[in-house]
Amino acid sequence: MLWLCILLPRFALEAAPGGALETLALWALQWSSQVTHRAASDDARCIAATHGAALWLEIGASRQLFGDHAALRARIAGELAPLGYSFRLGIAPTPQGATVLARASLDTVALTHAQLQQQLGPLPLTLLSLPDEPLAALHGVGLRHIGELLSLPAAAIARRFGPGTSLYLERLRGAAREPQQCVRAPARFASRCKFSGAITDTTALLFPLQRLLAGLQGYLRSLDRAVQRYTLCLEHHRAAATRLTIGLARPGREAAQFLALARERLAATTLAAPVHGLGVEAHELLHPLVLQGDLFSHAARQAEQLQHSLDRLTARLGHAAVQTLDSAADHRPERAWRLDAVRLATPAAPPDTASSPSRPCWLLPEPQRIDEPCELLAGPERIESGWWDGADVARDYYLARGEHGAQLWVFHDLRGGGWHVHGIWA
Amino acid sequence: MTAQMLYPLEQDEISRFSSLPDTRFGKTADPALPQHAQHLSRDELRARLERMSRGGRADDQARPVALSTGFAGLDALLPGGGWPVGAITELMPEAQGIGELSLLMPSLAQLSRAGRYLAWIAPPCLPYPPALARHGLALERLLLVQARDARTVLWAAEQALRCPAIGAVLAWPAALDDRRVRRLQLAAETGGSCGLIYRPPAAAQQPSPAALRLRLRALDGGLHVEIHKARGGRTHALVVHPAAALCA
Repeated sequence: MLWLCILLPRFALEAAPGGALETLALWALQWSSQVTHRAASDDARCIAATHGAALWLEIGASRQLFGDHAALRARIAGELAPLGYSFRLGIAPTPQGATVLARASLDTVALTHAQLQQQLGPLPLTLLSLPDEPLAALHGVGLRHIGELLSLPAAAIARRFGPGTSLYLERLRGAAREPQQCVRAPARFASRCKFSGAITDTTALLFPLQRLLAGLQGYLRSLDRAVQRYTLCLEHHRAAATRLTIGLARPGREAAQFLALARERLAATTLAAPVHGLGVEAHELLHPLVLQGDLFSHAARQAEQLQHSLDRLTARLGHAAVQTLDSAADHRPERAWRLDAVRLATPAAPPDTASSPSRPCWLLPEPQRIDEPCELLAGPERIESGWWDGADVARDYYLARGEHGAQLWVFHDLRGGGWHVHGIWA
Repeated sequence: MTAQMLYPLEQDEISRFSSLPDTRFGKTADPALPQHAQHLSRDELRARLERMSRGGRADDQARPVALSTGFAGLDALLPGGGWPVGAITELMPEAQGIGELSLLMPSLAQLSRAGRYLAWIAPPCLPYPPALARHGLALERLLLVQARDARTVLWAAEQALRCPAIGAVLAWPAALDDRRVRRLQLAAETGGSCGLIYRPPAAAQQPSPAALRLRLRALDGGLHVEIHKARGGRTHALVVHPAAALCA
């Protein structure tokens, strides 16, 4: 067993479900299947009040996956720093040992119990996770360094400084195992944070959101899952929360991508009321389709880039604003087309050019009534259709010359009479 | 370090880069690597490789500077021999319906059949699918983007221009100034796509950083194309005859 301790300042103490520490624990699941943040004893809980909160990851099993413990440590530090946490890391064979080393801010790592004992030796007693009372007693008898304390017999320590102190020291050096309550990835992701003040500007939400989305990314990585949509919950003081669902064209799990989409969506959102809390929820977990890091597969890369662009566009403009077009089998020009959802990476079908009659590039949304055109260049093409659905038409279509030499697609309505322009030959 | 400077690298060199150990993690650099590569961390290399795959892969060293318009006479007059790639072309038709869209059809058809997407941002009318198919466009490569206001149109055009999967971006912004055109120009350079921007004829009076500016008007049943500005070329004019109006 090798434990990495992430030591955080006091703010992270609120270990409520879905709170900051919980979010960070879900984030940490991507590095280790054994993550814990629950202090084993009440003593340790009150220590946390003075020393800050801690998160422990068992990295003995996972360090090979990431190179070695130093590589893993560097990666964890590299991902934590941009999230704005101030933190310290320590690595040791026991969770308590890792905590003390993290507190000492030494750059050293203890890989074995012997190394741990050696490194703890010269450190001051104040770095130990002990309540004030036994700590004062230890000081009273002239002990200053951890090494001096560890050299005393356990029974004597228990007698003079209480069984709690003795048990803690046993756990520190690995003679006693610490019961661990490991964090388990829940079936659905829900994480939230509360603000001390009210936020009225959506851009101010991005920073706390970044942390929540990092939690979502770690959670998805640990389960090897992806999501195609997630929900932002903007909590207001006395009103129902604003829920924004953000969709992706394809399942993804990169926090940076989630954040980019949320940024666009928030930019287009007007806050109904000041925001007091922020939540991120993801319910439907999917298998990831795109393998990350496939730098040289051109087609996959292209599809992914297009997906990201589409996601950005739809996040700001809405899904209905980005579509593709297709022809439809109907003789009536206004029904010979349809909007379609964009499909990615479909093989290009050979367009059929021969069969269809010549048509203008622009179609007007509605035929527009005009006076009889003075110059007809070609036609007529009679279109009579639709008697079966009540929207029947009987028209003679012509090519007509308009102003500035424009070429218009006009028709004479054989039923109602009158001339209309229906398209433009651009 | 620009993407161009990386082009001379061989493919096998690049794949060696991707397996380069990160020196920050306490490992030593591979002595077999070229000198300059050893100074880069894995993240820097990754960023460089990302840039490369964005700007073009290592094997398409000669990214075309222009896309043939499909009209030999026009290609001959344009610097590079066609629509500038990775740049903005402004089209200023005198009126709607003179062939301003048919002028683009051969090149758009070519792009779409090569698998590139075509983004149409805020067109004034419906691009009519039966007509586009007749011109040879692969309809499933078409992206129709509707945007509410002038700012959103430009934003959407910028997003589309940055995407390397999109070969051409056609946009109809309501208003444009040279600062905005410069932004679009930068986006086009990033994505390597053709930006084809329709502007009113009065825009010709304003200066613009666009690489190519064309004034279009109908003339004798054809389309009179005046090269108002061509970066690295001369102004000129000619008449082309897009396969347009013949009613069957």
